[in-house]
Amino acid sequence: MSAAPILELRDVCAAYGPIQALRGVSIRVAPGEIVALIGCNGAGKTTTLMTVSQVVRATAGDVTFDGCSILGVPTADVVARGLCHVPEGRRIFARLSVRENLAMGAFLVRDKALIQRRMDDAFQLFPILGERAGQLGGTLSGGEQQMLAIARALMLEPKMLLLDEPSLGLAPLIVRRIFDVIRSLRERGIAVLLVEQNAQMALRAADRAYVLETGAITHEGPALTLLDDPAIREAYLGA
Amino acid sequence: MLQNLWNGLVQGGIYAIVALGYTMVYGILLLINFAHGEVLMIGAYTGVATLAGCAGTGAMEAVGFMPCLAMAIIGATCVSAAYGFAIERAVYRPLRGAPSLSPLIGAIGVSMVLQNYVMRTQGASPIYAPMSHPAYVASLGASNWDIGPVSIAPLDLVVLVVCVALMAGLWMFVQRTRTGTAMRATSQDRVMAGLVGIDVNRVISVTFVIGSALAAVAGVLLALFNTQAKYDMGFTSGMKAFTAAVLGGIGNVPGAMLGGVLLGVAEAVGIQLLGAEYKEVYSFVILLAVLIVRPKGILGERVAEKV
Repeated sequence: MSAAPILELRDVCAAYGPIQALRGVSIRVAPGEIVALIGCNGAGKTTTLMTVSQVVRATAGDVTFDGCSILGVPTADVVARGLCHVPEGRRIFARLSVRENLAMGAFLVRDKALIQRRMDDAFQLFPILGERAGQLGGTLSGGEQQMLAIARALMLEPKMLLLDEPSLGLAPLIVRRIFDVIRSLRERGIAVLLVEQNAQMALRAADRAYVLETGAITHEGPALTLLDDPAIREAYLGA
Repeated sequence: MLQNLWNGLVQGGIYAIVALGYTMVYGILLLINFAHGEVLMIGAYTGVATLAGCAGTGAMEAVGFMPCLAMAIIGATCVSAAYGFAIERAVYRPLRGAPSLSPLIGAIGVSMVLQNYVMRTQGASPIYAPMSHPAYVASLGASNWDIGPVSIAPLDLVVLVVCVALMAGLWMFVQRTRTGTAMRATSQDRVMAGLVGIDVNRVISVTFVIGSALAAVAGVLLALFNTQAKYDMGFTSGMKAFTAAVLGGIGNVPGAMLGGVLLGVAEAVGIQLLGAEYKEVYSFVILLAVLIVRPKGILGERVAEKV
């Protein structure tokens, strides 16, 4: 990797009380690159994303986005710099309509015409959301909610997305659709840091990948190389 | 009977706009703001003092009562909003993330501090609204309208119109504006609200300012109703409004409006059936009954998980 990274974590540590969740995690993501972060339950994948969006404060190390340290910056300001986080469990605003959920995704955009244009784009990307525009978010199916969560993040036209377990609990057909969309982000020049339990899908979609075990990176490399690595195959791909 | 229902409806309108302050703060912070009644009391004091000032300086004679009332309400709104903003900043924000009992005790503490502060500085006896002033008599002191068996006082009508207008305005704000939608989003999922770029602290401040402003208006109207403002008036009206918020479903904006009106009417029915001596008892019986039978209230989506 040669270009200056859009996101860089350097030796990031984080803790919940006495429990050390991250022990010096270093990750680099280049502009427009899709990077997968795989690992078991409790390895610290979600915590890693949380320390990037400053929901969880890193106890050591540094996080830089677009060349500037964002450590300690309020979450809303991180978002304003073009880094959107689609959290685990989608976290749709259940009692807001689909349209309002998308409008909240564009909270930082003031231009109403621009918001409308991006909303039309979202309905083009996920036509089902257009059909359900007036429905409350909580009434959507899991797959529709995941689409809405991604569409909501795209309303800001971010430079980078953090995606946490986008395939969790979804039917295989829907998972494929979601991953098609993730791949299409590459063409739009949006970098992605993708956290997944479904290592197979993640490694096939990603350019590069990191493996996280109990709070530390154990492997990194091109996604396809990791896909063929016997140790990885045994531990994460069930083969 | 109809007369009592009308009185209950007017009283209920006031409960409703106070209940909105409780319910909006609870919706976002899961905190019962026990200082809300004192914010109302401070609004009432400011309003009555402004009216008394207008009467004393001759301004009321010059411009009439209604412009003075408008000024009193605006002044009360500004002062109470400033208090609400400052209370959140100074007490609740530092306690954010602390165990839920801490901000609750903080709220009770703020309530006591404000009561005693007003008692020390303004005196323990009430201050009176200038309701024998000729300008008042000429406008709202006019004789009642009799519609069938119901006798409607001009003041009742002003109260009802103001309450309905405020509720409609708040509803439009919450449903239609960008900040209002952000408030709803924040109350549903505060972390996610931050992740879409909403400045959650700002939303919380706005919530306190709006809730306190509503309480101030209610305080001025209540003071006119009772012809006086007193340092401990916030306690009863606060508890009533809290009951109304729980009745409608705490955290739910239309619920607070419905709960306020229902509580006012229920009190009126109680007075009709059992006598006015037990007026204060009815609302707390209702509060207990709601907590036992349907803790989430009439329109509530979730059970209150904090005190």
